[in-house]
Amino acid sequence: MKERYKRQSFLGPESDKIFGSCIAGLVGLGGGGSHLAQQLAHLGLGNFRLLDPDVVEESNLNRLVGATPEDAAKNSLKCDVTKRLINKINPRTRVEAVAKKWQESHQLLRGCDVIFGCVDTYRDRYELEITARRYLIPYIDIGMDVHSIGDEFSVSGQVILSMPGALCMRCLGFLRDELLAKEAEDYGAAGDRPQVIWANGVLASTAVGVFTQLLTPWHAGHSPTVYLEYDGNLGTVKSSSRLEHMKAKKCRHFSGLKDLGDPFWAPDES
Amino acid sequence: MRVAFKITRCLLGSVLNDLRRSHPFAAERVGFLSCKVGGVKPWGWVVLAQEFHPVADDDYLKDHSVGAMMGPAAVRKALQIALSNEVCMFHVHMHGHCGQPWFSGVDLRETAKFVPDFWHVRPQLVHGAVVLSLDSIAGLCWHPRAPAPVRISEFSIVGAPMWFLRELK
Repeated sequence: MKERYKRQSFLGPESDKIFGSCIAGLVGLGGGGSHLAQQLAHLGLGNFRLLDPDVVEESNLNRLVGATPEDAAKNSLKCDVTKRLINKINPRTRVEAVAKKWQESHQLLRGCDVIFGCVDTYRDRYELEITARRYLIPYIDIGMDVHSIGDEFSVSGQVILSMPGALCMRCLGFLRDELLAKEAEDYGAAGDRPQVIWANGVLASTAVGVFTQLLTPWHAGHSPTVYLEYDGNLGTVKSSSRLEHMKAKKCRHFSGLKDLGDPFWAPDES
Repeated sequence: MRVAFKITRCLLGSVLNDLRRSHPFAAERVGFLSCKVGGVKPWGWVVLAQEFHPVADDDYLKDHSVGAMMGPAAVRKALQIALSNEVCMFHVHMHGHCGQPWFSGVDLRETAKFVPDFWHVRPQLVHGAVVLSLDSIAGLCWHPRAPAPVRISEFSIVGAPMWFLRELK
């Protein structure tokens, strides 16, 4: 094991090689995605596929890990900033960065071992989960929200592991038809959503822990589905009561393993 | 071109449970995995295991020179599954040892006979065979445009925990 990974050797004698050969897709490289990229690079992840069409703006600098005022002034691409961050931590890491909406480059995600979704909308989450399940890829979703309650604010968020064949985000009640419909109705009127670096950091760190337990488990508590809720006011991360209620049930939204692969695969295209 | 093969931990568990059952006269059991396929540019394609189809007790032939010999009904039923469901078919059997398994000479001879038959019903798909050991897996994939079967280069068992069989860099 390389010297730089010795302090995490409890993850197993092969853990550095497992992380080194792993391919992770990161969709969305804002407050959450940039934190994830930084931590995964430190962990030793060998292959990144980054997808985000956005550029760095002044308003991102409160939370975008690795971004500088110069990036904001030049409107650098977020995927270039994240790639630079990863390569500074580990120059041997292979990074494919595409400054497009993930739906336009979803082929890049098919070869991933795990996909992280750090997206803003329920619609994106819904479609990412469908894509991940189609290619038997575990999907880890993170997101945060700030709600005003009277004169105060509530900071909250979630980390969900959606495993092909197990409970999905609809089963868990996180994605609901009314939320998708309301979002579609309000499309374009959402404005800038509040985001803060410490909540992004807690959620990204928790997601990296879920990912690490999935690849190099350090305890026996394997669970195919994870739904952790973050309460930023109390400073707690707890397993959701919704997951406890659903644990014994089967997913009824994805028809088992029927909807797999390319709908129209042709041998000449491969 | 490279080929990856993915199967959920849950489905693999059912395959292993079935293959471990004793048979009235055959020394081992065999079956088929119906699979779908996806292109992964630029390097090749990924085979995604969908469902296990055990060979029925009555569809084995009495042949003590091999561990298990499928009769024509077994192959016919597998062909029907490929035709009706538009799926790739991968023959599966198990060797009872630990470590990296590989096909015996008889396995290679027999699979080379019947796997290409699946192109009669699904000519546009890949088909193949996988062999399991007690803790590992290997496989061959026949591509309709390739002159010879390709060795499956990567396996992923999808579940908690994940398991990969690939060259570790």
